[in-house]
Amino acid sequence: MSSVYRLTLRQLTGRWRILIMTVLAAMPVAIALLMLQGSAPSVREFETFVLSAMLAGSIAPLVVLAIAAPAFANEIEDRTLANLVLAPIARSQIAVPKLLAAITIAAPFIAVSAFATSYVAFLGDMTATMAVTIGAVAGVAMYASAFIWLGLVTTQAIGFGLLYIVVWEGLFSGYVAGVRLLSIRHFSIALIHGLDERRFAFGNHPSFAVILVISVVVFGGFLWLSIRRLRQMDVP
Amino acid sequence: MSGAPVIRVDGVSRWFGSVVAVSDVTFDIAPGITGLLGPNGAGKTTLLRMMTGLAATSTGTVTMFGEPVRDNPPLYRRIGVMSEHETVYGFMTGRQFVRTMGRLRGVSDLEKAVDRAIDLVDLAHAQHRTMETYSRGMRQRIRLAGTLVHDPEVLLLDEPLNGADPLQRVHFKRLLLQLAAAGRTIVLSSHILEEVEELAETVLLIVNGKLAASGGFRAIRAALNQRPYHVRVICDAPRALAASVVRLGAVDAVHVDPDGAVVVLSRNVLDLQLELPRLAKSGGISLRRVEPLDDSLESVFGYLVER
Amino acid sequence: MTTQIAGPTDVRTAPNGAGGTGTVFDIGYQRYTGAREGRGRARRAVYTDGLRAALGLGRGAWSKVLPWFFIGLLAGIALIMALIAGAAERMAGPGAAERMNLPSHSDYNGFASIILFLFAALVGPELLCRDRREGVLNLYFVRPLTSGDYVAARWLAFLVVMLVAAWLPQIILLLGLSMGDPTPVAYLRKNWLDIPRFLAAGLVMAAYITTLAMLTASFTTRRAYAAVFLVGLFAITTPFTMGLAAEIGGRTGQVISLFSLTNIPLYVNDIIFGEVSEVTSIAPARTLPKPMLVGWWFAWTVIPGVILWWRYRRLTP
Repeated sequence: MSSVYRLTLRQLTGRWRILIMTVLAAMPVAIALLMLQGSAPSVREFETFVLSAMLAGSIAPLVVLAIAAPAFANEIEDRTLANLVLAPIARSQIAVPKLLAAITIAAPFIAVSAFATSYVAFLGDMTATMAVTIGAVAGVAMYASAFIWLGLVTTQAIGFGLLYIVVWEGLFSGYVAGVRLLSIRHFSIALIHGLDERRFAFGNHPSFAVILVISVVVFGGFLWLSIRRLRQMDVP
Repeated sequence: MSGAPVIRVDGVSRWFGSVVAVSDVTFDIAPGITGLLGPNGAGKTTLLRMMTGLAATSTGTVTMFGEPVRDNPPLYRRIGVMSEHETVYGFMTGRQFVRTMGRLRGVSDLEKAVDRAIDLVDLAHAQHRTMETYSRGMRQRIRLAGTLVHDPEVLLLDEPLNGADPLQRVHFKRLLLQLAAAGRTIVLSSHILEEVEELAETVLLIVNGKLAASGGFRAIRAALNQRPYHVRVICDAPRALAASVVRLGAVDAVHVDPDGAVVVLSRNVLDLQLELPRLAKSGGISLRRVEPLDDSLESVFGYLVER
Repeated sequence: MTTQIAGPTDVRTAPNGAGGTGTVFDIGYQRYTGAREGRGRARRAVYTDGLRAALGLGRGAWSKVLPWFFIGLLAGIALIMALIAGAAERMAGPGAAERMNLPSHSDYNGFASIILFLFAALVGPELLCRDRREGVLNLYFVRPLTSGDYVAARWLAFLVVMLVAAWLPQIILLLGLSMGDPTPVAYLRKNWLDIPRFLAAGLVMAAYITTLAMLTASFTTRRAYAAVFLVGLFAITTPFTMGLAAEIGGRTGQVISLFSLTNIPLYVNDIIFGEVSEVTSIAPARTLPKPMLVGWWFAWTVIPGVILWWRYRRLTP
């Protein structure tokens, strides 16, 4: 397992990628700092703008897509997946390390960004800050699981992933309320709400227990699908 | 040698939509070297992939050591596979690659196994360079090392000599013969007929997805007795010899080449072998050379492909 | 020993002095005796191939899904807008669409820009990345084709696809609006200026998006990374620069909001139509002088184009 994990870490990192992710992670922090120059923003303002639009809406899913989808997609394109599949290890011992490696790379950037942004914006309120950070990281985990599976299933993974992020979660969920039930972005935001109800206790979100179950189901479900796919697919 | 075959392919077919890649193929593979031959697009690679469990069969079963290959990861401890694709992890050194392969396959005493595998392919001098600096032949060899590191009982190799220079070819052949002598089962897919001829005791000919012939190639040739053998005779009186040879019952036809060689078509080479020297002696003709023209795999192959 | 593979064709054997024989199999190989066309033909071939690659023609079904989905989506939105306008006219009398301030050609561009950007991000890299990944560029340059020709032909091919994506919906909208109007001919006579306007605005959008997409694609061999980078570029710079601009305000804020990449062609769009569309109405930069906005768009189209051309010059040996 650790071989696959380390191999994937090596495959998914690169100088340029790290640089770009650092810049992306820094952007919300910069805005939060600037927003503070004026008056401290209301939680609602902060949430809708920075969290929803920028962090949860664009930066986190795109970063995770760029890291997680290639985890399998590149191996399939390069025809090196057989090296892993032809080993006497359970298929889960291929899928899980890949997923963990993707999360290991993407999560720190998102976590630090979320932490710094909300720490600044909420003037040091630790509970709120931790709520945002944990919610963001949970979102990363869910996205990673979904996109790892997507990269395994189709060569057009990035295309479908982008469509999902921009069109489904971006456009439609603004207009059609039901879409929220199938949107990782909203699960992540609902988690934040659930974790710190005093601060974030508005909006129409399912209860914390429900959202926790949903998150686990999403994460585990896509992982299970990936394992199943590995067993059933024709490996190039 | 044990009676049970190592690999059993039973009624295997594979289609992609409306294209049939492999059609109802059945054979057994015993220890030793078996050659898988066929023109491009005949279905060799698909068949090989089904034998490794990388691809599913549409119908039929593939078993190895009595167990199904598909969805059976523990079996991979005993199998080594080298695919036709040449891509490697460019950022790794050769040694790291072989070590990773070994670790994934649960090799005990890893460093020694890696050393041994790298020595087998003669890449010890380059093992610490990254693989993106390797030549094509070196990549093939390091991939072979990765395939051998866990000392598998069964080796399935798809076009393993692509891009190998003559020296590497000789080395590789020696290696394969060594491994086969030690009791391993090797299946080799190749276009290069001369090599398969030299290496493989058994040959499987795949044409258009079907098994066109299997067995020793000489035996295959003998089985194709509709087609007469061509035997070329070089002597000092070709037309005289031709005139007397054509009278033999074993001979179907005779023609004389512009360069003076006599080519005899015969369905019964044994009789021809006995009669020819007698004829030459009684006619006072000295025979300089008598050689079969289609005793090679290539001609069998060519004949079957055309059919 | 000579080995022969028996075949139905004739065999010519030529003896040579050293005692061996050379054999030529006449299997019907023929030299090409037709006309050999030059550079223009090569350029056209690269262009056509680019067009087919972008639209997924001559490839599997999956490659057609994305481009045709986008074109369909854009056309569909235009159709819906046209139907709504038509319904409004019918129910509330002529001129109702204008009165109710329903979306017009100008506004359509604002909505569609996001979808066009996504389209370019996903489909654009298809034209350039594949050739570099497979290492076949040298095969192109063996023909009478310079690297400038190659990249220009590819750029043109994608521009045409973008123009179709930009113009087709506008044409549908125009047809819909004129049909919806009780007096179509009068409508057309009154609004004929819309046609050159939306054609120009479409060209502005298409040229800008095409050049940026191609430039990004020229930096990586994997289509996936180019796509994500482009989307990230558009999706993230917009709220970021808008947010910064809102906080800082003033002249600096205006300049900062100029860097919202999705808006750059939309300012020109506004200038062409003479009205501010919804998307740009919140951008501080829209109040900057018009020549500056047009020049900005021009710079962001031409400079990336030059860099793109220069990059491909460097790629050839």
